[in-house]
Amino acid sequence: MSEARAARPWLALLAGAGYGLFYLYAIGDVTLYGPPHWGAYLTEVSLERIFTARSTLMFEAIAVIELGWVVWLFSPLNLFLALILAGLLAANMHGVLYIRAHPKQCQVGGNKAFIGALPALFAGGACCAPSLILLLGIPGLGAFGALFGWLLPISIVVLGINRIWQHGHGAPSMLEYARQRFGLNNPSTA
Amino acid sequence: MPTCPRQLLIASALGLALASSVMASTIPTGEPATVQESLAKYWDESLSGGPPRDGIPSIDNARFEDAGQADGWLEDGSRIIGIYRNGQARAYPQSLLVWHEIVNDTIAGDAIAITYCPLTGTALGFERGEDELGVSGRLVNSNLIMYNRASDSYWPQILAAAIQGPQKGQGLVEVRVVWTDWASWKSRHPETEVLSRRTGYARNYRRDPYGGYNPRSGYYAGGGTLFPVFAQSDRFPGKHEILGFRTSDEAVAIEPEALARAGHLRHEGKSADFLILHDPGLDTGWVFRAEPGNLPHGNALEEVVFAADGPSGDALAELEPINAFEAMWFAWHAFYPDTVVIDSP
Repeated sequence: MSEARAARPWLALLAGAGYGLFYLYAIGDVTLYGPPHWGAYLTEVSLERIFTARSTLMFEAIAVIELGWVVWLFSPLNLFLALILAGLLAANMHGVLYIRAHPKQCQVGGNKAFIGALPALFAGGACCAPSLILLLGIPGLGAFGALFGWLLPISIVVLGINRIWQHGHGAPSMLEYARQRFGLNNPSTA
Repeated sequence: MPTCPRQLLIASALGLALASSVMASTIPTGEPATVQESLAKYWDESLSGGPPRDGIPSIDNARFEDAGQADGWLEDGSRIIGIYRNGQARAYPQSLLVWHEIVNDTIAGDAIAITYCPLTGTALGFERGEDELGVSGRLVNSNLIMYNRASDSYWPQILAAAIQGPQKGQGLVEVRVVWTDWASWKSRHPETEVLSRRTGYARNYRRDPYGGYNPRSGYYAGGGTLFPVFAQSDRFPGKHEILGFRTSDEAVAIEPEALARAGHLRHEGKSADFLILHDPGLDTGWVFRAEPGNLPHGNALEEVVFAADGPSGDALAELEPINAFEAMWFAWHAFYPDTVVIDSP
């Protein structure tokens, strides 16, 4: 099995992008709805509106973009948070795949690498808990709704700590990996 | 700081003027309807619903369109909250109110707040004077707690009484609104205006985060409540819609199908008698109060007609209209555990 195939950087990027979209869907910024419409319009565009919180770490949108079945409420800050989550998840996924492909070099078994990533993945999914509660209609759990907002920063911290752990066990960053794999020059030494 | 009597007098006058202007701009109030728990309990057991204060933004600069334009995006079965006042009819689609919960509007010169709580299925109108209501982000018995911007007092929508703040213990002045469907409303009020989707906020107004009313689905169709309630009852399914009214000494819940079958119902209350009329055009009920023993006879009610401003006729001339509104049973019972229930003629 070649290293490129084992580490599958494209798979990590795809997982990260998918998670970013899932996050935007879970907080209601991206929805699938028919019948399809096409169009876009701005609402009030101001710094005040951009920084107005709809909920903990969830911000007002300033535009509605209708792309067929997809309706995207464009909030610059929500998109920024989605990109952070997507990047961290991609980095974690890449770390897992790298460690799995290099168990001896990393001194961690392939299964351990997966198990080690689970808390991070669970934490990453926790931001969607409010949507799940509504979907499942679990009685009384809405009372904890205010706490769910804090799961997002916890997700980011756990994903970050897990990536540092992976790095400590020999998993290079995606940029380092790209430089090694594709022979790119390090800008600082070029 | 004032140092002489004259300065003190001027400062006092300014202070009084300021205080009176603040008092004048607060929301109009009166005696609250029956409150069956201590006000402190409502506040102490209120919970954050998730969004912060104004995280669910009220609409303060509402735009309207005519019925023909609204026909382009409202279906006949779409739920709306309607109001008719001083010759002007307005409809507020539930699909918009589910995202905003409060519209601070002015209707034919009267400042009115239209309020809607999706979790309890309740729509109520209130006089607001020069004040505005906002969404506090807190809930009690799953019901929206509003706050008024002038005095920062907190008002659960169903209770319509302040449970915290400078106006604690006072009651809001209610205005009748109608919870019905778009086809029924425009049939009664062809000249109605409809709240526009151009609210100034970016929302997907085609999607209801809780489910749907046309047909009923998701949260609205059944199942449990999302937040704890003070009291539970299995007399009806929790999400079953009842028509409720309350006075200073009692609360009454009417089963709508029983009302529709009977056409009208009577209730001998603690201190007055009540007549409840079914409005077949809007599929809602209207409540009137009379001194004990003074309700009109059944034959007299045959002349009652339902016009733009509700039921009218000689038989109703001496009666006092009482506000009534639809609510999910679990919420009504949570606020009014001692409620009278009328589910048969």
